[in-house]
Amino acid sequence: MSTASPLLAELMQALRCLPGVGARSAQRMAYHLLERDRRGGERLAAALQKAMQDIGNCNDCRTFSETERCPLCAGHARDRSQLCVVETPADLAAIEQATGFRGLYFVLLGRLSPLDGMGPEELGLPLLARRLGEGEVQELILATNPTVEGEATAHYLAELAHAAGVRVSRLAHGVPLGGELEYIDRGTLAHAFGGRLPVSGDTP
Amino acid sequence: MPAIAIETSGYVLHARAWRETSLLLECFTPGQGRIGLVARGVRGARTRTARADLQPLRRLRLSFVTGGEMGSLRMAELETLHALHGEALLAALYVNELLVRLLARDDAHPHLFGRYQRLLDALVVTRASAWPLRCFERDLLEAIGYAPLLDTEAETGAPLRPDGRYVYRPEMGPLPWRPEQGGQAIRGSALLALASGRQPDAADLADLRRLLRQLLSAQLGGRPLTAWSLASLARARPHAAG
Repeated sequence: MSTASPLLAELMQALRCLPGVGARSAQRMAYHLLERDRRGGERLAAALQKAMQDIGNCNDCRTFSETERCPLCAGHARDRSQLCVVETPADLAAIEQATGFRGLYFVLLGRLSPLDGMGPEELGLPLLARRLGEGEVQELILATNPTVEGEATAHYLAELAHAAGVRVSRLAHGVPLGGELEYIDRGTLAHAFGGRLPVSGDTP
Repeated sequence: MPAIAIETSGYVLHARAWRETSLLLECFTPGQGRIGLVARGVRGARTRTARADLQPLRRLRLSFVTGGEMGSLRMAELETLHALHGEALLAALYVNELLVRLLARDDAHPHLFGRYQRLLDALVVTRASAWPLRCFERDLLEAIGYAPLLDTEAETGAPLRPDGRYVYRPEMGPLPWRPEQGGQAIRGSALLALASGRQPDAADLADLRRLLRQLLSAQLGGRPLTAWSLASLARARPHAAG
């Protein structure tokens, strides 16, 4: 590091803010851009600058968006009576890719976690409560993670929905597809057993 | 400090992601009290310790090496899972925040550890978490050296009368309540119930909630608990939690 020029050292230091990038990776990235891909580096810098400046949060669902309302919330193609609550924009993307869900989302950008300073205000729950009170939403789908904090969040959200008279559903959790009971952790197995479903006679 | 290998029962109070694949854990054990542990590589795909077990509300068999600021977790095996749901989950998160905020690192608390297990067991079976929570708050204050005076008057040492009215001074204890002095009164029966561990009526329970929050606030040094903002919704309903 000591042999690098001040600008180069600054670049390497800056690259280390990326997840999984330590001193060595930062050095490789910096040299790669300078030696082989200056155009790419400039594009990266411009894109970063623009994104950091212009991307905020959607006024309706709180996901990342450069417009006041994100394309999903602003569009007319979605079923506005179903609202799915997720912890992160990455969770939103996962549901969007894996399921045929046609409703809208609400992104908490976290979970209830007192020790991380995350309370109802930080998760935008007053905004969600107002939305539920407006009467458009018929069903609130809870898609928080099945962790202790995610479960606590789900409970809190369910209370909000009950208070507003909105139906609540929760993602099922249990044995993963292709999994083997013997190797599943006890908590998951207990949950799956408790949440077993009736099998009707005519199911193939 | 030389490194020492320790194996003990314990609970994770809080887990925080650290670097790519590791977790920083705040744990509660009987012999070491509150400790900080680094769990390396547990968020990766193949690990001996299940990520799902390194969460609150599971009694674990912890094996770790101490040394320096944070210990290093070697292994964790699930001993007991406290299956809490709904309001009880919020109550448990509240208690965990209390423990992290009020217990100093590396002070042994075997008695309080037992009380903590009993509280979690109680929260599994009851829908009314208020009374078990008040008892635990009392135990916690006692464990950190601020046991509240609950059965005699502060100045005279006279035993409290169940039907008497008192005003509670955090730094002293209960004093006879005089209407002209103002301040909120609490019934003797409420204080005596907390002293003896016999559940009082709903009105006394509400007064104790207020009293214990006042006593805990004094120890928290001005910065309130985040979990208290959760309780403001819960309080509007029956079976209120923290």
